[in-house]
Amino acid sequence: MKTPKTLLILALLLSLIAFGVPTQAQDQPETVTITLAAYAVPREAYEDVIPAFQAYWQEKTGQAVIVQESYQASGAQSRAVAGGFEADIVALSVESDVTRLVDAGLITHDWKANYNGFVTNSVVVLATREGNPLEIEDWGDLAGDVEVITPDPATSGGAQWNILAVYGAARRGFVEGYAADDEGATEFLTKLLKNVVVFDRDGRESILTFEYGIGDVAITYENEIYAGEAAGSTYSVVYPTSTILIENPIAVVDAYVDEHGTREVAEAFVAFAQSAEAQRIFVENGFRPVNEDVIAEVATDEELAEKFPKIEDLFTIEEFGGWSVVRKELFGDEGRFTALIAEVAGE
Amino acid sequence: MTVKAWSKGGPMVRPTFFPTIAWGKWSLRFLAVSYLFLLIAVPIIVVSYKGFEQGLTVFWESINNRIAYSALKLSLRTSATAAVINTIMGTLTAYVLVKYRFPGKAIFNAFIDLPFALPTLVTGVMLVLLYGPQTIVGSFIEENTGHRILFAPPGIMLALLFVGYPFVIRTVQPVLMQLDLNQEEAAQTLGASNWETFWRIIFPAIRPAIIAGALLSFARGLGEFGSIIIVAGNIPMKSQTATVYIYAKVESGNMQAASGISLVLLAVAFTITVSIDFLRGRKHA
Amino acid sequence: MREVAPKNPLQILLILLVLAYAAALIIAPIYAISDGAIERGWQPIKDTLQDDGVQHALRITFEFSIIATLLNTFFGVIIAWVLARQRFYGRTLVNALVDIPFVFSPVIAGYTMIVLFGRNGWLEPTTFAIVFAYPGIILAKTFVALPFVSREVGPVLESLPIEPEEAAYTLGASRWGTFWRIVMPGIWVGVIYGVVLTLARSLGEFGAVAVVSGGIEGKTETATMYVYRALHDRNRIGAYSVSLVLGAVSVLILLVMSLLKWRLDRQRG
Repeated sequence: MKTPKTLLILALLLSLIAFGVPTQAQDQPETVTITLAAYAVPREAYEDVIPAFQAYWQEKTGQAVIVQESYQASGAQSRAVAGGFEADIVALSVESDVTRLVDAGLITHDWKANYNGFVTNSVVVLATREGNPLEIEDWGDLAGDVEVITPDPATSGGAQWNILAVYGAARRGFVEGYAADDEGATEFLTKLLKNVVVFDRDGRESILTFEYGIGDVAITYENEIYAGEAAGSTYSVVYPTSTILIENPIAVVDAYVDEHGTREVAEAFVAFAQSAEAQRIFVENGFRPVNEDVIAEVATDEELAEKFPKIEDLFTIEEFGGWSVVRKELFGDEGRFTALIAEVAGE
Repeated sequence: MTVKAWSKGGPMVRPTFFPTIAWGKWSLRFLAVSYLFLLIAVPIIVVSYKGFEQGLTVFWESINNRIAYSALKLSLRTSATAAVINTIMGTLTAYVLVKYRFPGKAIFNAFIDLPFALPTLVTGVMLVLLYGPQTIVGSFIEENTGHRILFAPPGIMLALLFVGYPFVIRTVQPVLMQLDLNQEEAAQTLGASNWETFWRIIFPAIRPAIIAGALLSFARGLGEFGSIIIVAGNIPMKSQTATVYIYAKVESGNMQAASGISLVLLAVAFTITVSIDFLRGRKHA
Repeated sequence: MREVAPKNPLQILLILLVLAYAAALIIAPIYAISDGAIERGWQPIKDTLQDDGVQHALRITFEFSIIATLLNTFFGVIIAWVLARQRFYGRTLVNALVDIPFVFSPVIAGYTMIVLFGRNGWLEPTTFAIVFAYPGIILAKTFVALPFVSREVGPVLESLPIEPEEAAYTLGASRWGTFWRIVMPGIWVGVIYGVVLTLARSLGEFGAVAVVSGGIEGKTETATMYVYRALHDRNRIGAYSVSLVLGAVSVLILLVMSLLKWRLDRQRG
């Protein structure tokens, strides 16, 4: 009669494990829990912003807030929330990832009411090896004999900023030797794409590949440079004469906050993230602010002005007609840039 | 000829006594089939639905383009090569582990599965740190052969060899251990050489295990993602594999294309398993 | 097969060849990871492993991987048995299904679960969540590691002679008795390797779990997701030490199970 006993033990073990699974801690009556689903890059910044918000909310309402955090690639995060990951707040890399949630009927309010819905800014820059041994000065040098690293625009929203920066700068006449129109810009972009040796999955992986010793120059974001330097990496940064302004959105997810009854605190969190106090924390972490008071502070502070140098020709996504146009006509399956990348690869 | 007479319990598959008791046979079969249906057939149905949702034309367009085609080809080529190497080295390793006594064997045996439990992302990073262009090994090879290992197809192979190594070993090893040593010894007493003994006694017995291991290794190679994303350059038509292509399609919101390529991968694997099963079945019939 | 000491140079050469290959392929990277983990001494490793979030991630990873392994072991042995000892229509089809989880892109596997159980999904559950909660993680781990036990046990079953089973059964042993006393000792080694591979695969799974878990730190973040995040945060020591814990567990399980087998063999004489 060995058999039933063994089965019994197996069943017991199974149920033990099943019930031993930690269940969600019961909320105290005086606490409220919200979930923040963010893209991976601003994690260090939010680690400082969240305690500041908790203190602010406690003082204002006497209520303790628990913020559950999840950091993943922007697109993956957006798809997860659309698929049922019940985050109260999303902080993503590109606007079109928020638009997906609007289209899914999860975000119903006018999320662009304040600061156009953005929480942080940055610019596309170039990272070269320490001391800039190849003497790279601007976009034009990337079409020469260099190995370029940039993430894959098909998987990384952030990578699309890079391609747009390259194309935009050339079309606006800031790359010597190429006509300041769509044709000239396409010609330059084609040359540059031929020099790309690795298309990583996202921006952080791309700069890590560069740190592992691959490539001569990485197209990346200013805040990535500061994050890398804070972790002990060294690069020489090159600011192009002309580049694009990166704008990262934040929004409350209406469907989920209403389900959880957390609208008030979630809205307060978004407002707090855009307030001067939180914006200063973002500035410390290498992001450019969206709040006008902090923008003024940065402009007048000598040290900060050096940290965020003025770009001679800074353009925005509106140069291309906004994200809805860009996503469809440039990076979509039938998009011009998608076709261009395929064409370059096929040669 | 005499040798063959002993191989009573060889790889031959025969119905056992169980078929005489119908309910036992049926309940086991029911359990096996329903588990596989729930866990494997249901996802296949979902992917098929997504792949064909917009009609046959759209499905065909999603798989019939140069980039998808070359990604698929790269995956098949690297997985097949890795599977062949893994099969040869795995069989040898299993043989050595079972047959010979040598110092440190127990530890070696225990370590074989370890790379398998490491998150594949870490495997990828490790390979970069070991074979990257800045390392001694990597720069030596690049300078002397002009070929880069990482961010190129050789890097993909290296990753696949690493993640697939345990499969053949672990399928062949238990069969070798079970092998009736009387047969082996008798063959040798009867004057068969080592080589003959291997080919006529051992190999036929472990053949099903080798095939099972090789298939696992091949399939694992086709589906491998975590380490490849780090060591492959992901340049379309040069160093982009099918799984990474699928990932790119998922990311850019084209679920139909992602499902389409997945279906092709599934079909390839399915066809290979079925044809091997068929060939083996015919041989024994 | 009986274990012997290598007799001639050719055999020694064969052993050396295998060891050299394994060293280049496995030992070098593992050495490099271990070296990388202790690069700044033991303190950072201790700090990493004492972190609440890491401990929680490790705990759910182990618990869920064990559940996935138990399920796959139980059903895996049955599947192997049915495939090796029964002939029926559709057997080839069933056999071909077993390997599928490997070819299934993990990202697609995760996405499939969201299509089934997510918001507005085909089978959206009403009482409790499956995706972005614990059941989803267990399901993902079970799915990716499904083939091992059946693929390990299958070839052993096929190589076993059937006569002893028939004899035992004819002599009046129950079916379970026959299985337990006659078949089980034969397939033990296969089961052990199957279990270890299943566990190792579930522990190391990332792609599918990342899609379905939501990755909330200290809640649904698994050990591999932590490793991924740590790599991204340039916290290489954290990533390596957690990876090593995952790897060490499979080595340990293999040792424990081998010991168990050795004792069982001795009991049986």
